[in-house]
Amino acid sequence: MGWGLGLGSEEYDRIYRDRDLVRRIISYFVDHKLQMSVVIIFLTLTSFANSLSPLLSREAINELETTRDWGYLLLLILLTFTLNGLGWIFNFFRQRNSSLVIGNVVLKLRQDVNTAVLNHDLSFYDKYPTGKIVSRINTDSQDFGQTAELTMQVISSFLIVFVVLGALLTINIPLTITVLGMVPFIFIIALAFRKVARKRTLEGQRALATVNSFVQESVSGISIAKTFRQEKKLYNKFNGVNEQSYRANLRRAYVFNFIFPALSIVQGVALVLLMWIGGEGTLGGHIKAGDFYLFFQSLWLFFFPLLSIASFWPAFQAGLAASERIFALIDTPPTVLQDEDRILDKIHGKIEFVKLGFSYVESSDILDREKQNYLPEIARAKVFSNFSLKINPGESLAIVGHTGAGKSSLAKLIARFYEFQEGDITIDEISIRNFNLKAYRKHIGIIPQTPFLWADTLENNIKYSKPSATKDEVLWALEQAGGADWVEDLPNGLETNIRERGALLSMGQRQLVVFARTLLENPSILILDEATASVDPFTETRIQEALEKTIEGRTSIIIAHRLWTVRHVDRIIVIDHGKIVEKGNHEELMEKGGHYATLYDTYFRHQSLDYIEKTRDYIKAVKEGN
Amino acid sequence: MLKNIRKIDNRKMEFMPEVDPFSEVRLKGEKRWIIAHIFHGTNKFIVLIIFFGTILTSILNSALNIIIGVAIDEFIAGIGGRLFHYVLVIFIIGVGSPFLNLVNNLLRETLAQRMERDTRQEFYTNLLGKSQSFHDQQRIGDIMARTTNDVRMLNFLISPALSLIFESFAALVIPIIFIFLFFPTELLFAPLVFTVLFLITLRSYTRKLGPVTARLRGEFGQMNAILNETLSGIEVVKGSSNEEYELKKYLRNAHSFKDAFVEQGYIMARYIPLLLIAFTITFGLGHAIFLNLQGSPSMGIGQIIAYVGLLGILRFPTFISIWVFAIVRLAISGSERLLEVMNKESDIDENIQGRTAEIVGGVSFKNVTFCYPGSSQPVLLNIDFEVQPGQTVAIVGTTGSGKTTLTKLISRLYDVTEGHVFVDSVDVKNYHLESLRSQISYIEQDVFLFSSSIFDNISFGKTGSIDQVTRVAKEAQAHDFISKFPEGYYTEVGERGVQLSGGERQRVAIARAFLADPKILILDDSTSAIDSETEDRIQASISNVLKGRTTFLITHRLSQIRWADLILVMQRGTIIAQGTHEELIKTSEEYRKIFIKRFDLREEQLLKMEVT
Repeated sequence: MGWGLGLGSEEYDRIYRDRDLVRRIISYFVDHKLQMSVVIIFLTLTSFANSLSPLLSREAINELETTRDWGYLLLLILLTFTLNGLGWIFNFFRQRNSSLVIGNVVLKLRQDVNTAVLNHDLSFYDKYPTGKIVSRINTDSQDFGQTAELTMQVISSFLIVFVVLGALLTINIPLTITVLGMVPFIFIIALAFRKVARKRTLEGQRALATVNSFVQESVSGISIAKTFRQEKKLYNKFNGVNEQSYRANLRRAYVFNFIFPALSIVQGVALVLLMWIGGEGTLGGHIKAGDFYLFFQSLWLFFFPLLSIASFWPAFQAGLAASERIFALIDTPPTVLQDEDRILDKIHGKIEFVKLGFSYVESSDILDREKQNYLPEIARAKVFSNFSLKINPGESLAIVGHTGAGKSSLAKLIARFYEFQEGDITIDEISIRNFNLKAYRKHIGIIPQTPFLWADTLENNIKYSKPSATKDEVLWALEQAGGADWVEDLPNGLETNIRERGALLSMGQRQLVVFARTLLENPSILILDEATASVDPFTETRIQEALEKTIEGRTSIIIAHRLWTVRHVDRIIVIDHGKIVEKGNHEELMEKGGHYATLYDTYFRHQSLDYIEKTRDYIKAVKEGN
Repeated sequence: MLKNIRKIDNRKMEFMPEVDPFSEVRLKGEKRWIIAHIFHGTNKFIVLIIFFGTILTSILNSALNIIIGVAIDEFIAGIGGRLFHYVLVIFIIGVGSPFLNLVNNLLRETLAQRMERDTRQEFYTNLLGKSQSFHDQQRIGDIMARTTNDVRMLNFLISPALSLIFESFAALVIPIIFIFLFFPTELLFAPLVFTVLFLITLRSYTRKLGPVTARLRGEFGQMNAILNETLSGIEVVKGSSNEEYELKKYLRNAHSFKDAFVEQGYIMARYIPLLLIAFTITFGLGHAIFLNLQGSPSMGIGQIIAYVGLLGILRFPTFISIWVFAIVRLAISGSERLLEVMNKESDIDENIQGRTAEIVGGVSFKNVTFCYPGSSQPVLLNIDFEVQPGQTVAIVGTTGSGKTTLTKLISRLYDVTEGHVFVDSVDVKNYHLESLRSQISYIEQDVFLFSSSIFDNISFGKTGSIDQVTRVAKEAQAHDFISKFPEGYYTEVGERGVQLSGGERQRVAIARAFLADPKILILDDSTSAIDSETEDRIQASISNVLKGRTTFLITHRLSQIRWADLILVMQRGTIIAQGTHEELIKTSEEYRKIFIKRFDLREEQLLKMEVT
C-alpha cells in the first residue's frame, strides 16, 4: 500500500536562509532576555569555577609549605568549600532559569503553530496527513527547545573562549598563535558537517513523522484489520516504516558522532605541536618553563568551549531543521483568504452563486507537474464551472443527484471551507470573501455526512457550538432532534463520556447528537448533508418532524438521497456533473417527468409496498438466472 | 507500579507474528524490561564493548594528562632527551583516542537506534494483538505519543545516558582505586562515605523526579490526543467557529506540560549531591592536611595536591548525573506508559488450537448478555435466536438498540458476557480466531479506507489480482466511478478516503467484502449513502452474493427486510419479536409500526393488504 514510504518534503515545506531562521528564533527568546542572561552568566561561572578551582587549590596548598598557621589553614578550607559549594548555587539558578526559558519558548511556539494550523482551510487537511502535522506541532517543537539550551551554551562558551584567549596571550604570544592556527580547522570541520547534518536531521524528523502518521492511521482503522484478519499486513507495513526511521535516524546519529572525534583529532594535533614547539622552546631557553606549564594548564580551558561551540553547530542545525519544519507550517498561507472583515449581526440567508468555477486544487498547482503527481487524481477534476444559482432568504432547497455529482461540494463552499477559482458566492448580496469568517460561520449550521463527536461528555458535545447553553436547553435540543429517551440508557446519562468520535454511541445516535448540536446553535443557514442516512424509520420520522419545524424561517439546504425528506421543501434542484439539470418543486418536477421523476420513482419504488412485495421475485429471478 | 498482574498467556493475543522474547519480563516491571532489552541478543556484546571502550578512553585521557605533566617536569628540569618520544606518544594517544571514541560512539548509536526500533516494534505488534474492546477505549493521539515519543526515550537512555553512566562509573572507581593503592588507607574515608551518600541522594533524586517525569510523559500523551482529535474533526471545529476553544483546550494541556517541565528543572536545580561533593573535597583536604601535620611520611604537600586532585575527579559523575538521571527517569516513565498498555490483558483468547474447519453458516445465540468491558450496563440482554446456513437475517430496531453490537459478537470482535454464540453448533470461543474471522466479512457503517489506492483498499482483506478486483468492483457497482478517474484503480483515496463521497466509499467497502468471499456476511447499514438508482443494481449483486452464505443485514430498507428469512426486531438491547415478515406483521405491533409510519397507513389497512 502506498503509505508514503518516501522521505520527501511536504508541498508546503520551504527552505529558509539560516540568517532568517536565526533571526526568527531570536524573536522567540527576546522576551526572556533576563532569564537567558542569568543562565549564560551562571554557565560561564560554572565553567570557570570548575576549571579554576583545582588550579587555585593547588596554588593555595603549595603555600602550606611556607605558611603553616591555623589562620591560613582555616582560610584554605573555607576557600575550598566555597569554590566547590558555588557549583551548587550556580546550578540552582542556571537550571531554574533555563527550564523556565525553554518551557516558555516551546509553549509559545506550540501556541503559534497551532493557531496557524487551525487557520488552514480544509484543502490543507485533505492533502496532508493529520499524523504528520501532529508530529510537527508536538515533537518538532520539543526539538526546537533544545536549540534554546544550545544557544545559551554556545554564548557562554564564546565568553569563556575570549577570556581564556586573553589570558593565553598574556602568557605567551607565539604559543597562542600556534594554538590559534588550529582554530580555522575546527570551524572548517564544523561547517563541513553543517549541510549534511541538517539534511540527515530533516530525514530523521520526517521518518519519525511518517511513523507517527502510520500509527495514527492504522490504529484508526484497526477494526477493519481485525475483521479481515490483516494484522500481518499492517505489521509488515509498520516494520517497513519503522525500519526506515531506524535507518534514517541511525544515519543521522552517525553523522553527528563523526564530528566530535574529528575535532578531537585537531585538538590532538595541537597538543603535539605545542609539546614540540614548547618543549624545544623551553629546552632552548626561549620560553620560560613556568609559562609553558601555565600555558598547558590553560589550554584545556580554551579547547573545551571551542570544541563545544564547534560540535554544537551541527546539533544546532537539528534545531534549525525543526524550526524550519515548524515555520513552514506557520507560514503556509491559507488558500481561503478574506478581503474584508465584515461582521453581520444577522444574516437573512440570501445565497447566490454567480458563474462559479471550482475544483479542489488551485489552478497553479494543476500546472505544476511535480505537484500534480503528488495530488490525488480525483482532486484535479473540475467540480463546477460557470455554475449559477440563487437561494432566497428563508427558502428551503433540496439538492438531489447521484453520488459524486458535487452536492456536498456546494455545501462546503457555502461554509467557505474551500476557495473557489472563478465567479463569486454572495450572502445577503455581500461577497462571501468579505466576511469575518468566524462570525460568518456562526450563522451557519452544518450537519455533515459522517457525524464527528468529541471524547467528551454527551452534554458538552451538544453544547459544542454554544458553550453557554443550559442543561434545559440541551435537553430541549435533544427532544427536538427525535427525543432524549435513549440518553437514559447510557451509563451516566448526559454526563457519559462518549469516547473518541463518539464510539460509545451507535451511528444513529451520533447523528441525533449532531442534529441537536446544530439546533442549539440556531443558525440562519442550515445545511444538511445526507444526515438522515443511518437513522431507523422511527427516529427518522421524529427527525423529519423536527426538521420541518427547524427549516421554518431559515435558509435550508438539504442534500438527500432519501427523497422522502425532500417532498416538503420549497424548491428542488437536480445536479449532475456540476450542472443544474432540473429545478422546481416536487409536484412540478414529477409532472415534468425528467431526471427527478426517474430518481423519485426509483426511490419510491423501493419504498412502496408494491416494490417490496416484488423484490422477492426480482431476487429470485437473479438467483435462478445465475 | 505493576500490581496484581495476572500472567498473560501468549496464546491469548489476537496477533503474534513471531516468538515474543519479552512477554515474561514485561510483567516484572519497566526496569527489568529495559534491562532485558539492553542485553537482548547481540546487544549485550555492544554494551560490553561500549563499557570497556568508555573506560579505556577515560584511562587514555588520564594517561595523556599524566604524560604531559611528566614531560613538562622533565623540560623544566632541563631534560630534553625524550622530547621526541613524548611527542610521538601524545600523537598516538591524541589521534588514536578519537578513533576509539568514534568506534565507541557508532556502536552506542547503533544500540540506541536498535532499542528504539525494537521496542517500538514490540509495542506496535502488541497493539495489533489487542482486542477491539481495548482499542475502543484508547485515544489515538495518546497511542501515537506512546509509539513514537515514549519509545524514543529509550533511545536517549542509551545515547547519551548509558555511556555517560559508564564514564561516571569509571570516574567514581578510578580515584578510589588510586587512593587505595598510593595513599594511607584512612584517606579512603572521604571518597567512600561520599560514594555511599551520593548513591543514597541520587536515589532520592530520581525518586523525586519520578512523579514529575511521569506527569511530563502523560501530559505529552494528552497533548497529542487533544491535538489529533481536533485536527481529525477540523471540519466541525471550523463549522462551529470553535478554533479558539480548541486552541484553549490544547494550550491548557501545553501549559501543564510546561509546568511539569519547569518543575523538573526545579528539582534538578536543588540537586543535593553537588553540596555533598563540596563537603567531601573540603573534608578530604582537611583530613590530608591533618595527616601531614601529624608528620605522616607519605603525606607531603605534593601528596595532598594529588589527593585533592583525585577527589576532584569525583565532580564529573556528580555533575553529569543531574542530567543523566533525568534522562533515565524519563526513559523509565516512558517505559511505564508502554508497559501499561502492553500489560493490559487482551480479553479475547486467540485459541490457536481451536477449530479451523470451513464454516457452513449456521449461527445461533443462546441466552446472550453483553456489557462493554468496564461497564455493568447490559447492551444486549438474553438474546436468543437461530439461523440456518444460507439464510438472510434482517435486524431492525431503533437507534442504539444493540443491532451493531449483536453482529460484532459473531466474529468475536467482542466476547459475550454471558451465554453462548454458536457457529455451526460450535461455540465461537472454540474456533481458531483467525480461521473464524477469515470466514466472516463485515461491512461497517462508517466505512474506513486507508490512505492508499483503491486497488489496495479493495484487496485489503484478501490479496487479489487486478482482474479479480475489477470483477468485485463491478459487482459492487463501483467499477463505473473508479474507471472515471484517470488513474483508475490506482487512484489514491486520501486519508480516511476523503477524496471519495460517502456512497463511493461504501461501494469500495462492499467490493472489499465481496473479494474476501466469506461464509458469513454482515452488512451494517452499508448502503445508506448509496442513492436509490445505484442501489437497485447493488441490490441485485448483493442478492447474488447472498447465495450460499448466511447474511446479516442491519437495514432500514423495507425491501430488504420484507424478504429476509428471519427478522429480529430489537429494542433497548433485547429482541422483542422475531420471525418472518408474514408472522411479524400479525404478531408484532412494533414491526407493524415500521410499515404504518412509512406509508401513513392505518393498522387495519396493513393487515388487509397482507391477506390479499
